Amino acid sequence: MISVERPARASRDSRYPESAPIVPLTAATTAMGGRLVVHLDARADDERANRDARRALARIGRWADRLSRHREQSELTALNADARGLVPVGPTLAAALWAAQEAARDSEGLVDITLLDARLAAEGLTCAEIAGEAPRIWSLASGPRRTAVVSRPAGVRFDLGGVAKGWLADRALGLLSGWPGAVVDADGDLALRCRAGATWAVAVDDPRTDGATLAILHLSAPAAGWSAQWGVATSGTSIHRWRRGAIVGHHLIDPRTGAPARTDVVQATVVCGSALRAEALAKTAVIAGSRDGLALLERAGVKGAVILTESGETLALPQTLSLLAG
Amino acid sequence: MARPSPSRSPGMPGRPGEPVQGAGARPDPTRMRLALGVGGIAALSALITAIAVPPTPLVATLVNTPTEPPLVSQQRPITYVQLTPGQTPPPGATVIDAKAPKPITIVTKVPAPAQRTVVVRTTQSGKVIP
Repeated sequence: MISVERPARASRDSRYPESAPIVPLTAATTAMGGRLVVHLDARADDERANRDARRALARIGRWADRLSRHREQSELTALNADARGLVPVGPTLAAALWAAQEAARDSEGLVDITLLDARLAAEGLTCAEIAGEAPRIWSLASGPRRTAVVSRPAGVRFDLGGVAKGWLADRALGLLSGWPGAVVDADGDLALRCRAGATWAVAVDDPRTDGATLAILHLSAPAAGWSAQWGVATSGTSIHRWRRGAIVGHHLIDPRTGAPARTDVVQATVVCGSALRAEALAKTAVIAGSRDGLALLERAGVKGAVILTESGETLALPQTLSLLAG
Repeated sequence: MARPSPSRSPGMPGRPGEPVQGAGARPDPTRMRLALGVGGIAALSALITAIAVPPTPLVATLVNTPTEPPLVSQQRPITYVQLTPGQTPPPGATVIDAKAPKPITIVTKVPAPAQRTVVVRTTQSGKVIP
């Protein structure tokens, strides 16, 4: 179900400064076990904004259904159930798998979608032997009409997780190319476009307190120029978390150990050019830990990063300050 | 032998106080010749100097006051030597692990969020927003 709301506001009032944060029209639904929201910087033509937002959500919802490991009829479930070493996949899953390879490169190998069984083992949902030391190297070859053929060792199963959410956010923003100001929120991973002279104010959630804000990022496009585009994503260990006996686990598996990452980072938020990349790098920063993670983010040339550590310290790369200052 | 002075036209009045020369008198050229000769020698000297001595750029002379140190910046090049297994670094050398990440600046004083209108929120996946 898609809900649309239009908050009461006076942001289009001529007295309202152009650089003030946008208060948009919002449409929301659920997909891949989380929220899927479209915000449009809509002016008087709300009718068109409503229609476009609903259309984008419906289409992205269909794509998300194909990529979810939780749905029995999804393309990903079919791939994971297929015993063959070479499996042809449709265009949507192929595009998401290409994105996963890009994420693996960006993260210097720390984002690995072949860790489904390791995660299930960490949760106690499957036996640890399945998630053993078997090789997980896989590849993708282009097929006709944007399809592809997946090659992987027997038994390797995929979990697209955050990769799919980042990819979906970017694709949805592409569907809304007629709107110079738009945001797609795929369960916390954001793809944003800002019209010239406007600002999106993005709150970074504080995981320690419900409803609290750790920082606010101000993403602005220069008044004399083109619209600008970003990806913002947050990853962390404090939501998908469990306890098995004395051991506390979480869902971010370190591919180097096959177990939940031992890290001092509770949450990492990254700003860069796309939601896919932001998601991959945020997850990487958590898995790598604050020292190595920040160094990797610096090498990756991100536009901003805010990290909350176990000791309660909030760390940021210097380039983040201009975003925080608004 | 002195040459006769240029003559003034007959009947032309002289300046007041100037002795009137007789017909056929001409001005004495000695002073003019002397001036031209000295000028020529000076020009030749300048030309020879310019040819013999290559031009040097204009240099502003810096005078240091006794309280200020000389404005000299000296940069010491750092030489990196990759040690092969078994080699030891020379005494006093700084040893850097080749695999160590590049030092980066990290800001720890993140400004508190300002109270501004916010509708977009980035969260960890699965976070329920009321």
